[in-house]
Amino acid sequence: MMTSDQHERLCRARRRLCDTTQPGAPLKEIAREAGLSHYQFIRRFAAVFGETPHRYRQRHRLELARRMLLLGDRSVTEICMFVGFSSLGSFSSLFKSRYSEPPSSVRRRADTGGALEQSLPCCVTLMQDAWRSQAQFSRSAPDIELKQSPHQPESGKPR
Amino acid sequence: MRIKLTSVYVDDQDKALDFYTRVLGFVKSQEVPVGEFRWLTVKSPEGGDAEVTLEPNANPAARTFQEALFEQGVPLTAFEVDDVGAEHDRLRRHGVQFTMAPTEAGPTRLAVFSDTCGNLIQIYQPPSESSHG
Repeated sequence: MMTSDQHERLCRARRRLCDTTQPGAPLKEIAREAGLSHYQFIRRFAAVFGETPHRYRQRHRLELARRMLLLGDRSVTEICMFVGFSSLGSFSSLFKSRYSEPPSSVRRRADTGGALEQSLPCCVTLMQDAWRSQAQFSRSAPDIELKQSPHQPESGKPR
Repeated sequence: MRIKLTSVYVDDQDKALDFYTRVLGFVKSQEVPVGEFRWLTVKSPEGGDAEVTLEPNANPAARTFQEALFEQGVPLTAFEVDDVGAEHDRLRRHGVQFTMAPTEAGPTRLAVFSDTCGNLIQIYQPPSESSHG
């Protein structure tokens, strides 16, 4: 059971991990502020947020960097430093392994405009695109498969 | 008009699929790649045809909303179980962190846990056996 005090401390630690005004705060310091040993902090944080603090911070930095790249008003190097990476090389390789393209190619896409808006998924657009791609798939399949879509129970009434 | 779909914002779809299937016990229903994300839904193996879509919180507005609810201790949604106490014990064995242990609330019982994807989720049991129909 997590007490409300522990809950609050973990929330504060999470905010600290994502704080770009002090991007390099050592994990040991954040653990101490949360009133936990380094080891307890890693364990407890992972149980609540599903990732170690290190991985959580890294993912947050990469996601933020990607949004900033898509906005298009700063260079790759500036963004790398802003989100808290000290080496352009490790930033680029982590970015590429997460998004399958280097930061520079995302940055170039921004120059065409509207890139950020296009990259924000929501329930409506995801569903639309998913069904569109499924429709493309089933058009090439035999008729019988079309009638047995997983969402159409056989006993279901026609819509 | 029917209610067949509800949505849960998640900070990472891989993490979410793992937690919602392996830990909570739902089954994957839809998984269609859409750009860098997926149209991803799960449903209950116990029946009912409602699905939960595990929706990426990539939109900063969604993220702000999700983080604020979590910090306030407010569950994003609730799932029904037969026995809150038994479910709590089962989830605890998986290492799930609860912010509210099973608690009486009038004729029902509630508990609240972290879904490891940025949300608090409430479980509740229906007030009486008869409501199972």
